[in-house]
Amino acid sequence: MPAWLIVGFYGLLTALATGLGALPFLFVGKLSGRAVAYANAVAAGLMLGACFGLIREGTAYGGWQTMVGAVVGLVFILATERWLDRFDVSFGDVAGAGAKKMMLIVVVMTVHSVSEGVAVGASFGGGMTLAAVITIAIAVHNIPEGVAITAVLRPEGVSVPLCAWWSVFSSLPQPLLAVPAFLFVEAVQPGLPYSIGFAAGAMVFMVFMELLPGAFEEAPRAGIGLVTSVTLIAMVLFQRFL
Amino acid sequence: MTPTPPILTVLFYSAAAAGLSVAGVLPVLRRDRLPLRWMGWANALAGGVMIGAAYALTVHVDEALELGAGALLGILFIHWSHMGIGTEELDLNSVEQMEPAYGYRVMLMTVLHSGWEGVAIGTAAVVDLSFGIFLALALAVHNVPEATVLAAVLRGQGVRGRSVAALTVAVNVPQVLLAVSVYGVVSAAPATLPWVAGFAVGALIDLVLVELLAQSYRQAGKISIAVVAAVSMGIVVLVEGLLG
Repeated sequence: MPAWLIVGFYGLLTALATGLGALPFLFVGKLSGRAVAYANAVAAGLMLGACFGLIREGTAYGGWQTMVGAVVGLVFILATERWLDRFDVSFGDVAGAGAKKMMLIVVVMTVHSVSEGVAVGASFGGGMTLAAVITIAIAVHNIPEGVAITAVLRPEGVSVPLCAWWSVFSSLPQPLLAVPAFLFVEAVQPGLPYSIGFAAGAMVFMVFMELLPGAFEEAPRAGIGLVTSVTLIAMVLFQRFL
Repeated sequence: MTPTPPILTVLFYSAAAAGLSVAGVLPVLRRDRLPLRWMGWANALAGGVMIGAAYALTVHVDEALELGAGALLGILFIHWSHMGIGTEELDLNSVEQMEPAYGYRVMLMTVLHSGWEGVAIGTAAVVDLSFGIFLALALAVHNVPEATVLAAVLRGQGVRGRSVAALTVAVNVPQVLLAVSVYGVVSAAPATLPWVAGFAVGALIDLVLVELLAQSYRQAGKISIAVVAAVSMGIVVLVEGLLG
């Protein structure tokens, strides 16, 4: 089997793993406004925790480059948010502010997957063992990201299978970019800190602009603070143990 | 020339951080009333710096399990403190509350708040003295907007200018005391470092969410708050990364 096909297959596995994040929501019924707020808090904590890991990884490649990427990511989300404001946005059967939030989180997570796809592809340059380890790490890391996406989509009425699909969709850049990253690894390496920073900046801004304010509106701030803090720490630990 | 004992360095920089908070009083003294948006942006700036400081601490501690356990303790301590004092849903930035009890509760929360920042400084200094200095300076910057908000609340209570300045510095004395004592204890018992660092991380993050960001969205709107918080966090993270 050609090496690039193996790379693409590994990347696809990591993308499919994201869909597993929707499974816990099979056991959750209709969500009240307060439950939606706590779901947003969970998503916020997971995403901020993921950002801690991203920033740490990016600064290892280059601090300035990561920050430049983060600023661009922040501006990108702000511009996307402003652009979406101009239209009557709908996402499936959902319209208005809820649809906009759903669209933003899928965009943010898809953007985040770009750097992961590059990382998977580039890791094959270090041999199959390293590539397998990194693939497993990214696949497992994708599961809570699927949880974060589903935590935002499910309360808006999106079915669990469709949440799983959108979670997988958001990770499709991984197999799509893993292959060119493998084939042109020396060319993509300099761009890695920028893309990691971009993902981190977009995620942080999404959390501060959409998830947290929405959560604080519908539930007590002490509870939101507790849930977000605990899930943030859990995500940081999760990434450390990978 | 004998080198300065590290503990005196910790004392100096944490005291400087506490003292710098008086600069945050100036905007309040010059105006009858601080615009609500300014308070929101001040909260977001302080919050972003604190999250950046929490991130910086996590990077420097390798023992993940102890860090996580300590963080959980820090989060729970803050949560229960709020429950115990009765401030979990209290508007901590009201400039119209005249009852002394309100002022005492805000002051008490601010004193506790500064204490955990001192824990962060002391722990960081044990990891590496220059890292501790960096964290002290970052928290010095964040003390200014926090003092602005506190000063606005105290002025609303009718407290006079000089007293406002003195109180905004005084509430940061625990920052100095805890920075020095944590440095001493953790230096003597290095096994406690990841626990104490984790405690500071968890406390800082929960404080930001419950005391700063939640209020700031109502004060200045989500987009400007998101920008201020993200940028201030990013600056701390960038400087930490460049300092290595």
